[in-house]
Formats: sequence, structure tokens, C-alpha cells
Amino acid sequence: MKELSLNILDITENSVKAGATLTEINITETDDDLVLTIMDNGCGMTPEILETVTNPFTTTRTTRKVGMGIPLLKMAAELTGGEVVITSKHIAEFPNDHGTVVKATFSKKHIDFTPLGDVVSTITTLIQGHPETDFLYIHRINNNEIVFDTREIKETLEGVPINTYEVIKWIEEYLREQYLQIFS
Amino acid sequence: MTVRDLLTSEKFSAISLPDESREIRNVYIGDLLSWVMGRAKADDAWITIMSNVNILAVASLADTSCIILAEGVTVDETIKATAMDKEINILTTNMNIYETAIYLNGLL
Repeated sequence: MKELSLNILDITENSVKAGATLTEINITETDDDLVLTIMDNGCGMTPEILETVTNPFTTTRTTRKVGMGIPLLKMAAELTGGEVVITSKHIAEFPNDHGTVVKATFSKKHIDFTPLGDVVSTITTLIQGHPETDFLYIHRINNNEIVFDTREIKETLEGVPINTYEVIKWIEEYLREQYLQIFS
Repeated sequence: MTVRDLLTSEKFSAISLPDESREIRNVYIGDLLSWVMGRAKADDAWITIMSNVNILAVASLADTSCIILAEGVTVDETIKATAMDKEINILTTNMNIYETAIYLNGLL
């Protein structure tokens, strides 16, 4: 991927497909590192599946379940000297506490570090495409942070669909404004 | 031209050759795998310097005729075995990507 934000889109789509009602996308940056954590309360994976998700040949072309998302994220992280760690609790074994956590660590100073890119577009695309599920987005850079929670927005909207054009436009503008104010 | 024809030149050597009769109709060049995945076409010879296991998945999805590793890049034994298993031809050459492309252009 040319930008990490596209990896985020890919991995979060997996969470939605796993039936998550809430997915947290957390980006925590210091001067040296970027840690991306995507946490969902979807159905999770069995230990057998979990062991094979970083292998691009986990499934055949026609029945591919997880796609190239994780193998490509792993490669992007490892190219910078970082890593990807995935933990998961499958619904069969953890009926009340299931879900998956994908944690990718990048060294920002490595020459092969992929820039984060247009993460605001990624977030708005996710909200627009999946209005029925909730997203909690947190981006921290050193001591500053941006937090965006669709559950709060939905409460304010009082029944107006979150993927209404005007609402999506507002979310996008709001996030861009936050970035200008907080990280510039 | 087939992959076998390419190997008659001493410029290339085979790393895995499960299907040497594959026809090469065109050439694609790229190292950003997610990019290549959507753009390389069936029967392309794909020139790259990337050598991790993901190249096999990309070659398999795009159905390229072979992967050509330029600049003398090679792969480890596990990848070699997977390439045989997934029927993916891999060649290597000491030429750089540009030289490899020029050379193939002369043959196609």
C-alpha cells in the first residue's frame, strides 16, 4: 500500500466482516514510532485460523476470507524493523468477550516507512460504508490527541442516519479541522 | 516466447520452474505489491526486487507467467518450496530492472 491509511481501511473491513459492532482504531505516535492498533468485538478467530492469517496462502483465491490485508500490513511493518502481533478470542470459546486485536508497530525513522496518508478519508469511508456499526478513532501524537466516536455522533443525530451526505461531509470537515488545530 | 525460451539465455537462471511452457506475452514492473496485485496482467513476466512470500500470492492472483527477480535477488528455501507447490515460476538475473526490461523488449 502506498499509504498506511489504506492498510487501516483493509484491516478494519475484516473487523466489520467479522460482525463487530464496535471497532477501535488507535494510532499512537512518538517521534520514533507509530503503533497502529485495531481492536474489534467481532466473532474472533480460532487458534488454528489465527496461526495462518499472516500467510497469504491461507485460503484459495475463490474462498479467500482475510485477503492480503494482514500479509501486506505485516510486510509494511517489518520493512521498517517493526512487527505485527495479532491476538484473538473466538466466539465459540469466549461467548461474552470475543474479538480480535491487530497491533502493528512501525519505526518512523526507517527509510521504508510508509506515510500514514489520508486517514480522514479512510475514517469517513468506513463510516459511510458501515453506518450500522460503530467506530472509535483515536490518534495520539506525543501529548496531543484526536478522539472521534460514532456512538456520540449518533446520539446527537437523534435518528438521522450517520451516512447522510451532509453528516459525512460534516464529519470529514470536523476531522480535518481537528488535525489542523491539534497537530499543526 | 515461453519461460523456457528465456532460460536459454545465460542471463537468467531458474529458482523454481514448475511450468516452463508458460507463455510470456507482456512485462510488468513493480515492487509495491498491493499496486502490482491490481495491475499486473495474466501472462506478464513480472520484474521485481521483492523476495518475501507475498510475491507468490501476488503472482498467483495476477496469474503472471513468471516472477523475474532482478539485481541477483534470490529467495529462501521455504519460498522456493511454496513456489513449486503453487506452480509459480521464479527466475533470477544479475541485470538490474531497467536492463532486464530492455532485454525482454528485444525478445518480445
